[in-house]
Amino acid sequence: MSKVTTLSEAISTIPSGSHISLSGFAITRCTMAAAAEILRQRITKLTVSQCVGAMDADLLVGGGAVKRLIYGGGSLDRFGRLSNVNAGIEKGTLIAEEYSSLSIAFRYLAGSLGLPFIPIRSLLGSDLLKRLEQKLEKDVARLTDPFTGDDWLVLRPLIPDVAIVQVQVADQDGNAWILGPRWDNAEQVKAAERAILITEKLVSTEEIRKDPERTIIPALKVSHVVELPYSAHPTSVYGQYDYDAEHIKKYVEATKSPELFKKYLDTYVYSVKDHSDYLEKVGGKKLLKTLQADPALGY
Amino acid sequence: MNLDYSPSELMAVSGARELKDDQVVAVGLGLPVVASFLAKQTHAPNMTILFELGVIDPEPIHPGVGLADPRVWYRAKVLSSFVDILGAILHKGLVDVGFLGGLEVDQFGNLNTTLVGDPHGKFRHMIGSGGANDIASCAKRTVIIIRHEPHKLRETISFITSPGYLTGDRSRHDAGMSGGPSRIITNKAIFGFNPKTKRISLISIHPGNTLEDVLATMGCEPMVPKSVPFTKPPTKEQLVLIREKIDPGNIYVGKD
Repeated sequence: MSKVTTLSEAISTIPSGSHISLSGFAITRCTMAAAAEILRQRITKLTVSQCVGAMDADLLVGGGAVKRLIYGGGSLDRFGRLSNVNAGIEKGTLIAEEYSSLSIAFRYLAGSLGLPFIPIRSLLGSDLLKRLEQKLEKDVARLTDPFTGDDWLVLRPLIPDVAIVQVQVADQDGNAWILGPRWDNAEQVKAAERAILITEKLVSTEEIRKDPERTIIPALKVSHVVELPYSAHPTSVYGQYDYDAEHIKKYVEATKSPELFKKYLDTYVYSVKDHSDYLEKVGGKKLLKTLQADPALGY
Repeated sequence: MNLDYSPSELMAVSGARELKDDQVVAVGLGLPVVASFLAKQTHAPNMTILFELGVIDPEPIHPGVGLADPRVWYRAKVLSSFVDILGAILHKGLVDVGFLGGLEVDQFGNLNTTLVGDPHGKFRHMIGSGGANDIASCAKRTVIIIRHEPHKLRETISFITSPGYLTGDRSRHDAGMSGGPSRIITNKAIFGFNPKTKRISLISIHPGNTLEDVLATMGCEPMVPKSVPFTKPPTKEQLVLIREKIDPGNIYVGKD
């Protein structure tokens, strides 16, 4: 059965207060169009998780949609820090639960396998762990290995209500290819109750069957498929398009004050009808052509 | 060719000297990339280079703005995931050397990349861990690369993101970890750690610096041996590789 729908229809299935995971890593394969649509639909009080904090999470935090962020730290690479996330942490308006990349990945992995907890060697002796141990409702605990008697730190599984994933290729059922490195995305989707795919390209199931080794996401976890080219802009999608350095710089400038960021949101989120309207606004076909990836390089 | 070299070039070369052939090395972007590519193109051709997000042995031809830039994934042998790299290689115990950087490091090699200021009062939040805590916790040993400044080399730090030897002696072992930092490489000197107390101790000073200046420009007091050698300068071959092949645009090494 086809799960293909519009972005606004897919996003409207996410109730306020949900836990969503986002597929971005710093400034690559970020769910930018989905994040903008969440803001337009005024979905709020979200819990957002991802291994490495990225531009999609920062946009959602800046738009006031996020109550809690579960992440392993993050940045916009050389372009700057996650200023909205950082401002939220500094002012106390955002509840941040900070881990490391692997500890979040392990929490998703435990969720993906249906395990009750997962032991890990990371976090020991750090102030990250101290803070997590001070939380009222704990997601970390100590346990004795029943086989060796060794002490272990264990983590609670992380199970998003919805994984929002930006992919290169999917069919109408939600069988999807993620090309290039996948960081935490496979575990996110497998841990989540369901997934919404935003794909650069919709192909027939016959195409998927020709190269099934590439299928990272099996259809059974997917509730909606949205075909939306350039939906990670201004971040990159491996093999498809490069990041838009000029727009990321514009974003970073806008995060320098709440007034500037409000203006940014008004221009690029709220006064925009849909994603194609957004693409026109950021530079249209002329810009997109300059960002197109060389297939031989991947960027 | 000009055999004068910058402190950053010597830092990269010193980092490369820490790596041996057949080793598995986890790196972040910046000088560690130069150090590990330099080692691989000279004395360690069989080394394996890992980027945390799922990249093994790339051969970039264009500099990138970070690990999220597809430019630095070019010609990789493997493109996979955190669980494959940080899990099945690092957590499994197969990483020989991990490179780390940070805002500040203390006398026991603990690193802060999380915040500046008072964690219980006014502070600025920075980047956090990423894979740094995982590398610091699980690698067989780590090499810290950091600028030589009083506020970066400190007695104590405001937040431990990535553990070194915690409070020294057996405290890292008692917390359940093996490994630990083996070197701190700055733009003025190289440090190690006392095998028993695990406190920072001076190993060598980069040519052109004095012991007085090295000690006066750091915020903690290292153990100093009776005679301190100078760090071996880079060779012509190393400088040629860095300038012409690995970082021709001076993106990672920088101007000083």
